[in-house]
Amino acid sequence: MISLLLKMWAFIKRDFESEVSYRLAFVLQVGGMFFSLLAFFYMTGMIDPDSAGLDGIRPFDWMLVGLSFQFYFSAALFSFSQKIRGEQMLGTLEAMLVSPTPTSMVIFSSAAFDFTYGAIRVMIYMAFAVLVFGVKLYATGLGAFALGAVLTLLSSAGLGILSASFILYFKRGNPINFLLSGATTFLGSVFFPIEQLPAWIQPASNYLPVTWSLRIVRGSLLQGKGFAELQRELLALAVMTAVLLPSGLICSKFAIRKAKLEGSLVHY
Amino acid sequence: MSNYAIEGHGLEKSFVKKRTFRELLRRPFGEGERVSALRGVDLAVERGEIFALLGPNGAGKTTLLKILSSLILPDEGRALVGGHDTIDEKRVKRHLGLVNSDERSFYWRLSARQNLRFFARLYDVPGNRIDARIDELLTRVDMMAAADRPFSGYSSGMKQRIAITRALLHDPPILLMDEPMSSLDPDNARELRRFVLEELNRRDGKTIVLASHNLREVEVLANRVAILVAGKMRQVGTVDEVRRWGVHQRRYRLTVDADTLPSGPFEIVSREAGDGPHRFLLALEAPAELPQLLDVMHRAGIAVLGCDRVEPDLEDAFSRIVATEEGS
Repeated sequence: MISLLLKMWAFIKRDFESEVSYRLAFVLQVGGMFFSLLAFFYMTGMIDPDSAGLDGIRPFDWMLVGLSFQFYFSAALFSFSQKIRGEQMLGTLEAMLVSPTPTSMVIFSSAAFDFTYGAIRVMIYMAFAVLVFGVKLYATGLGAFALGAVLTLLSSAGLGILSASFILYFKRGNPINFLLSGATTFLGSVFFPIEQLPAWIQPASNYLPVTWSLRIVRGSLLQGKGFAELQRELLALAVMTAVLLPSGLICSKFAIRKAKLEGSLVHY
Repeated sequence: MSNYAIEGHGLEKSFVKKRTFRELLRRPFGEGERVSALRGVDLAVERGEIFALLGPNGAGKTTLLKILSSLILPDEGRALVGGHDTIDEKRVKRHLGLVNSDERSFYWRLSARQNLRFFARLYDVPGNRIDARIDELLTRVDMMAAADRPFSGYSSGMKQRIAITRALLHDPPILLMDEPMSSLDPDNARELRRFVLEELNRRDGKTIVLASHNLREVEVLANRVAILVAGKMRQVGTVDEVRRWGVHQRRYRLTVDADTLPSGPFEIVSREAGDGPHRFLLALEAPAELPQLLDVMHRAGIAVLGCDRVEPDLEDAFSRIVATEEGS
């Protein structure tokens, strides 16, 4: 287990070292995040605070959570497949796969930095929100938030690994990403409450992990809800994680075996 | 424990050919045509030897190396590396290192040291040994001074030395090398040949499987050669055995004081005329021996100023073997 964690840390360190070789890009990204928050701050000023689905939360605060976590979900959905495809194109995938590290570990760890960076981006957004825009975060819901974050990470990883399996199998952009990123933005209560949509389509959002993740984050951080008040959401997310993560792992195993038989594991 | 570092038994591998747009339209769900890459390949590489795989492009050399390194699975047959079936990936990969000619297989914005630290983790080098191991190897390949420069700034020779360093990180007993010198200039190639032969094979005792089209490289390095043509193992033997394969005539280079030769039990392969003595390359027809040849010259009153046996060339042998396969 320690060996696996150290390997994952090696992936994070490798990507961090690559990333800091583009220092200016990092600074510009932080600047961009600030300006996007500023834009949302003024835009949400036009929204009626009593709109359905906001649950009494200030529109800016409500959207801030969606915005900051949107990057996290995107990282989960896209980074596995993008990293694997990137490594295939760089020629580094073969070098990793001839090492004794299992292929599934290579796939899983390849996105570790993006997840970490995604979490850092969430924290930067939150820091701006609290320090500059006066958003109030509740410490009482931190326990539920932490559990929700872990479940979010694992369910997103499951989806991401499914997506990477498509890349290994088909060698091209995969339909899961296009479908899920669109569905997440539209149905996942990221930028507007699902209650704003026609009633017949609202149940569809229940099948997206992002819906439950955002309910947990908003409830815990913005309303101070604890485990008891968020147990339904936590349970739903746990069930989705229990389905998605093993599915991703099984599909990746199948895709790796198929790619090895076809001789296309390191091709793009 | 088996005497062999690597064994292959009846290895077969075919790939599906990419289909054209028209074929896709005609049969969207049908499988494309299959192309054989390996056809019943058997091989046995002894511990501590340098075994060369020679073959024209597309002969199946890289496919064979990929099967040995568990990157692809054979359709039929089995391969053993260090006594372990290649299905047992983890054990197999602990026993081998792969060096290829692909310069892209590193992170170009990172330094050699940063790259090697990353790969050392993947190769299960213990954390407290990583830096010492990297320093030791970088010193051996004479890259210590440049170790902290970005990989993108290295010459092809330096990149190849780092590729070898990476393959040695976990000190595997077996090295698979796929065209390792193909992008190197003559000086760098010579130095790398020396390193492979003197340091890796003779000093460290590593078993090396070298896939190459470079016959010079193979002649200098290999103990044994296998010639792969169209996925079949055509000939396996020492360099001398393979050189002599299909050669039924011995060749001599004769330096004489005449510009024509009498007829005799030989064929004139080539001649070099100059102001002084003339040199002829002769192929002696079996069962004639050298004394008969010299006797013919003596009787014709030709003074023989020099006579050297010309050993068969690996290049000629390679061409003969490929031609035989293509003709069959």
